[in-house]
Amino acid sequence: MAAKNNIEISIENLNLDYHIRRKKKEAGPTSLHALDDINLSVREGEFLSVVGPSGCGKSTLLYILAGLQKKTSGIVKVGDTEITGPSLHTGIIMQAYALFPWRTIKKNVEFGLEVKGLPKAERSKIADEYIELVGLKEFSDRYPYELSGGMKQRIAIARALAYDPDVLLMDEPFAAVDEQTRSLLHEELLRIWEKTNKTIVFVTHSIEEAIFLSDRVAVMTPSPGKIREIIDIDLDRPRDGSIKSSEEFSRYRRHVWQLLQTIGDSTVETFDEKGRFVLDAQPQEVAI
Amino acid sequence: MEDKQINKGANLLYKAFKKSIVIIALLVIWLIIPKYVNNLFVPSLFDVLKTGAELAISGKLWINTITSLRIAFIGLIISTVIAVPLGVILGWFKTVEEYIDPTFQIIRNTSILAILPIFLLIFGVGDTSKYAIIIWATLPITLLNTVQGVKNADPVLIQSARSMGIGNFGLFTKVIIPSAMPFILAGFRLSASISLIVLVGAEMLGARYGLGFLIYNSMHAYMIPEMYVGILMLAIIGIALNAVLVRTENYLTRWQEKVVQS
Repeated sequence: MAAKNNIEISIENLNLDYHIRRKKKEAGPTSLHALDDINLSVREGEFLSVVGPSGCGKSTLLYILAGLQKKTSGIVKVGDTEITGPSLHTGIIMQAYALFPWRTIKKNVEFGLEVKGLPKAERSKIADEYIELVGLKEFSDRYPYELSGGMKQRIAIARALAYDPDVLLMDEPFAAVDEQTRSLLHEELLRIWEKTNKTIVFVTHSIEEAIFLSDRVAVMTPSPGKIREIIDIDLDRPRDGSIKSSEEFSRYRRHVWQLLQTIGDSTVETFDEKGRFVLDAQPQEVAI
Repeated sequence: MEDKQINKGANLLYKAFKKSIVIIALLVIWLIIPKYVNNLFVPSLFDVLKTGAELAISGKLWINTITSLRIAFIGLIISTVIAVPLGVILGWFKTVEEYIDPTFQIIRNTSILAILPIFLLIFGVGDTSKYAIIIWATLPITLLNTVQGVKNADPVLIQSARSMGIGNFGLFTKVIIPSAMPFILAGFRLSASISLIVLVGAEMLGARYGLGFLIYNSMHAYMIPEMYVGILMLAIIGIALNAVLVRTENYLTRWQEKVVQS
């Protein structure tokens, strides 16, 4: 994995303040410091997860990378390009699948290619390829409502991969599927990642998920959102489910859990015994 | 295997029977009762059909039918071509919609028949007044439905399309309009039936051709079977139109999960 040395994403001194709308005579601050001096580099082909409690701004960070959310200050680059708006450098996969219900599976996967202006024959060929990659070839002509949640998310991944972005951004993509499907999707995602060599930034509130998937895990603290620590996950690849019961894995889990517990506010109570957050993070308000 | 097919056939027959038996019964009553109860204003179905055949042969039925269909169709198309793009714009720029919505609510909720005379006075008894009244009656329906559809577009889908670098034009053609389509189609179907209703009304008040004219004129001339021919024709058109539009709608929104109805 020699290709992992080049820097793919660089975030320098990133800050974000939300404007709070208040009535004329209402007291209180008029802005909220949401992200505080974030510095982060992600290497080419790396799998990096961001974990943190609800409201720490981890999804917001992802939306800034996708160019869907404006920042207050700092520099965000993917490759050599500074991110100022949505681009084909990044592909985002959302928790809510966001498949276009009026398009067949194949037409969904072709969407980014249409935007790119590829001719029809080429679009069709690429779409077939990626639908095959996620193992849903026989569903090409179906509509999204005919698919299960896990299948929809695989199609969303195929759609993002199809237009060949440098970076895949995943915003709690498996939070809405059941436990069993989730572990299947984890292994599936790792397989796809190894095959395509994409750089992946994966936002989640599940510690276990983050450790299992990632090369590194960035732990964030809330209000204002800061990166507290970045942990290297030195677990052998390829990984399978059995690794989760290993001694090393538990050590990482404890470590991350402790980092999150010592944040020192009420969010502590939102962990369950597995170190997963009980409260679901709300998707961020994003400018469109 | 054969048994199953027979069952299937029997099932279909039973379904057809359920749907048509009451109608058939009513038609039979209409066929028989007036024969024995002498009533000038309700001729037997047989007399109506006989007159219908005569009118069809003479061409009088067709000229009136085609005139009505042509005007309703053209009026509806003009109305839709204006209403849909306008609705997309109004739905997107929500403030504009807030200004305009009350006006359209008033138009929509005022009886069209009440203002028919205004249109006849201004545009005369020719086709123009009919187009105008159809547009007046149907435009707010299609428009408000389109607005609703556009406002209903899922922000997550818009965001997802944006993340793939889609431009504003693409966003409208590939995301906003397709997602508003079920609303637009529902508005169109309602508009289509309303256009026929107001057209008939307008034709009764002032026209030289059309089914409304045929019905009203026959009434005044005491050509009662003729009157019923016009009414029957309108009923057939209404049912056929609705059937075609429902099927079209179902086809165009086949991507939506449907609740199975027996």
